[in-house]
Amino acid sequence: MKSQDPLSAGPAGQWSIQKLPVGLTIACARESSGLLDIPLPAFEGKGLVLTYVNYKGHLNILSASGSEQQASPALGLLTVSNRPFRFRADAPIQFSAVALLIPDEWISLFLTGNLHFKKIEQVLAGEHNIITCRMGRRQLSLFASLPTGSSDGEANLLETQNNALSLLEYFLCNRHRSLLGAGTSSGIDNEDDLSLIREVESYISEYYCSDTFTVDAILKKTYTSYHRLNFLFKSIHGMTISEYIRNKRIERSKEMIADNEKSISQIAYEIGYSSISNYILAFKKIYRITPGKYKKQIDGRMPA
Amino acid sequence: MSYVSLENAEPFLKCMEVLAEDKSCIVTDSVLYFSGKTGKGFITVAGVAAGIEVLAVNASMLTEDIAIEFLPSVDASSYLLTFDDIELPIPADHELSLPHVLLAIDRSPSSVSITDAGQGKRIVYPKEKMIRALVVRVQKTSLGRLIQDFDAGTIQSILQSTDGAATLSWPITFKYRLLLNDFMNEIVQHPFRELFTLRNVSILVEYLLQQFFVMDKLSREGNSLSIQDTHSLSKVEQHLCLHYKTEFPGVEKLSRISAMSPTSLKTKFKKYYGETLFGYYQKNKLEHARKLLDNKVPVKVVATEIGYSNPSHFTLAFKKEYGFSPWHYLNPH
Repeated sequence: MKSQDPLSAGPAGQWSIQKLPVGLTIACARESSGLLDIPLPAFEGKGLVLTYVNYKGHLNILSASGSEQQASPALGLLTVSNRPFRFRADAPIQFSAVALLIPDEWISLFLTGNLHFKKIEQVLAGEHNIITCRMGRRQLSLFASLPTGSSDGEANLLETQNNALSLLEYFLCNRHRSLLGAGTSSGIDNEDDLSLIREVESYISEYYCSDTFTVDAILKKTYTSYHRLNFLFKSIHGMTISEYIRNKRIERSKEMIADNEKSISQIAYEIGYSSISNYILAFKKIYRITPGKYKKQIDGRMPA
Repeated sequence: MSYVSLENAEPFLKCMEVLAEDKSCIVTDSVLYFSGKTGKGFITVAGVAAGIEVLAVNASMLTEDIAIEFLPSVDASSYLLTFDDIELPIPADHELSLPHVLLAIDRSPSSVSITDAGQGKRIVYPKEKMIRALVVRVQKTSLGRLIQDFDAGTIQSILQSTDGAATLSWPITFKYRLLLNDFMNEIVQHPFRELFTLRNVSILVEYLLQQFFVMDKLSREGNSLSIQDTHSLSKVEQHLCLHYKTEFPGVEKLSRISAMSPTSLKTKFKKYYGETLFGYYQKNKLEHARKLLDNKVPVKVVATEIGYSNPSHFTLAFKKEYGFSPWHYLNPH
């Protein structure tokens, strides 16, 4: 294997390692051989390691504890750097991988205080010490555009960095989505579905107060069917999409009542209900109390 | 007009507080939503560690202009990068004969720029327009870290050489537009806001530097663009970007929009945007298609959505641009 970079020689072996200006370290490998047995690259420093692999053939992942698992193509894996694992193949294989070291200092700079990241850390600390996610289209095309191994090392460093950052972001986002709600058993382990949900959620949060807002508009915007969207929503949030919207509206109205600036009818109108009785019913269904009584409760608790 | 002024070291968050008070809006979770009376949309601040701060404005139908002034200061050691995508009203065909008196603005409203914060800068977001804008304040040292392999010193020297203006500004291209669009769609909801912002800033800086070197080379060759030309070309560019769903308008119409001859329009466009008119239009169109494909939209629907009457034409064009067919893109495994 040729190595252009002095860093890529030495303990790293088949990996060509590059330091990115932003503080991450990236290592790429491409291998096409009969037998394969490569460990993760030896990075300097501690942190998390995000690895992406894609291959044609059969590949096993051998973890430190000795257990062997079959991998699936286009896989992303997140581990702690001191818990290494190896990739092994006994049959001819075409293999390419990218490993990204996220140093501890970097994490403390950008990700501490992020509640979503804490959940991911908790999972990592537990016995399931490898988090996986299959790559979607966006990740695959990013993965393909990263310089793999000895090909041409003269790729733009800034571009590599941007691709690496995007990969990291997509991975965390998708994992975050699937850790929410119904948990990993929901069977949605697919980047594309998750990003669809994300888009719908952000659309809802932007327009849910408007009285012309309908689920149909979402369907038109995202080109999905009602059933599919409902299925996805149920498996992630555990409720249908209309329930989700209603909850959001009622939650907002609760905040507005607590602000104590507007009358109930005004609030109902502002969060997009055309009739007050509908609103009161919906509120009662969730909090088991009418908004008026709720308002009195609050007023009673802290007299203005 | 709402007016905010910021000292060198003051965080962007202060700017939101002032605006919120001015417009009597509530700031929740560092996002300011305009109430229906003052406009639509939001303003948000994302402070990324390591000396990068971002102010994002996504608004439309504002009832008042918003002006933000960054006061000059001697000891400022940061750059201000701005990325504005502001929709210009495109004059209808019969208005084209009007002289350009009304449009004699010193710069086109949709532009990207880099300024030394020491010189100060004033940004005005006009009312009643669609605005997508980012202001990034980045410490010089951090910029150096982001772009290690570029020579950050060159930027400094060029900034100083431009007759005291200390601002470099270029017309926006579709890459920025697409990125700004994505940014605004996701920023509020994004679970990893810092990371998301960092990535986008990093990409924007990459685009900016690419453009920077092209423009610098052109101006060193004595080919810098006159203000009039910049404005005309950016009008053409905007037209191409906005009308990606309809057929290519044709050089004839574009030359009327820009008030240039077809030949000079073609050569100048190629020179400053690096693409032919049609190539630029096509690239933008296919990027939109790719966005749709990312969301699992069927190929047939994508084709009609971006204005192809025949899906196989779309497939051919897509393959020509990216090297793989849309179907292959949809089913990568």
